[in-house]
Amino acid sequence: MKRWECQQCGFVYDEAEGWPEEDIPPGTKWEDIPDDWTCPDCGAAKADFTMFELV
Amino acid sequence: MAHRTVIVGAGIAGVSAAAAMRRSGYEGDIVLLGEEPELPYRRPPVSKEIVRGEKTPDEIRIKKPEWYDQQSVTLRTGVTVASIDTEAHVVHLADGEEVGYDQLLLATGGRARNPWSASGIRTLRSLADVPRLQSELTPGSHLIVVGAGLIGSEIAASARTMGCEVTLLETAALPLPRLLPPELGELYVDLHKSEGTDLHTGVQVTSIEDEGDQTTVRASDGRSWSAPVVVVAVGMEPNVELAEAAGIEVANGIVVDAFGRTSAPDVFAAGDVANQPNGVLGGRHRVEHWQGAQNHGTAIGKVMAGGDVPFVEVPWCWSDQYGHNLQVTGWPETTHELVVHGSLHDRDFIAYLLDDGVVRGAVGIGRPRDIRAAEKWIAAGQRLEDALEGDA
Repeated sequence: MKRWECQQCGFVYDEAEGWPEEDIPPGTKWEDIPDDWTCPDCGAAKADFTMFELV
Repeated sequence: MAHRTVIVGAGIAGVSAAAAMRRSGYEGDIVLLGEEPELPYRRPPVSKEIVRGEKTPDEIRIKKPEWYDQQSVTLRTGVTVASIDTEAHVVHLADGEEVGYDQLLLATGGRARNPWSASGIRTLRSLADVPRLQSELTPGSHLIVVGAGLIGSEIAASARTMGCEVTLLETAALPLPRLLPPELGELYVDLHKSEGTDLHTGVQVTSIEDEGDQTTVRASDGRSWSAPVVVVAVGMEPNVELAEAAGIEVANGIVVDAFGRTSAPDVFAAGDVANQPNGVLGGRHRVEHWQGAQNHGTAIGKVMAGGDVPFVEVPWCWSDQYGHNLQVTGWPETTHELVVHGSLHDRDFIAYLLDDGVVRGAVGIGRPRDIRAAEKWIAAGQRLEDALEGDA
């Protein structure tokens, strides 16, 4: 499970937790999130995220 | 359970409310009315990537075009609401059509404030404002920006990046006066100057008038500046007229409680237009930032779908200027003491703003993770020394 951080605002997407607010269930891998998904906090593109930690 | 919800305003608050209602299992009709002809879009990039031509409108849509059908949200754009009858529970559209509701959400946002009326004046808030201004921001052209708040500063930085000669005028002694304490405002003086933007502060604008093919801005102390185009960026005015005419309580925005309820039954308000209780410091506030509008819309959408959780949030916003990512959280203006970690000079720092040792605000450049931690401390009313100890 990996964690990805938005480089614009610092929002963290944790694969273990998913993002249920937008129907992304816990355990969803980063590569399985649609490419047009945007940062829930600032609207940055998926491409603006970088992996920062293996957990 | 109500069977039709009408949402007036298809910005981030309105769309987020619709999405939250569906996620909460609301099965009634949702009618989303937008005045702009566009599919709903994210507004923050308008003064940045969009005006610079680095992104297209289709790259900043809030939801994909098919989302509305998939979620059974009836999106109607280019629709103006003329009035609301809160007793009959009817919204009257400008073309005469009537739309009945069981619940109504007013997410009408705001418009750019502009007390002047010269033909060279531009404002920037919507996608519709972009094409003309963009065509005028050619390399070497001269632009005056009135107001060095977030939008004015971003437009100045964007235009400078595009190769324009930029004059930036601000009433206060320093840029970003509503966000930054003086020590940090100075940083943005230096930043604008080092990037070649001609910043003047302490400028009380008395008039903006056309003079031939130039537009002239005059200040109370006799100074004046002229350019073909003047962008006025002196804040926004909440769109309260519909609510006011309907007899709903308005005072610096539409007055709501922690559940988004207005003074009229079954009428809610969310986003920039809502004057809401400040759940951390007490009192009331109106928040004009993207994330606040999104989260408020989401929270009030949940309430409208039957939830009972009040909305409490610490404001947070970001700004990109000349490639530097500024983030501000909390209520810096309520504080007197500043503790800086990192280097102001290198523009890599977080500054904690304290009131009697308690963290009330934080400002950072390039420190998003620290800002997020600070946001939690602010919400909890923690003292900085305790928070740092707990964090260590």
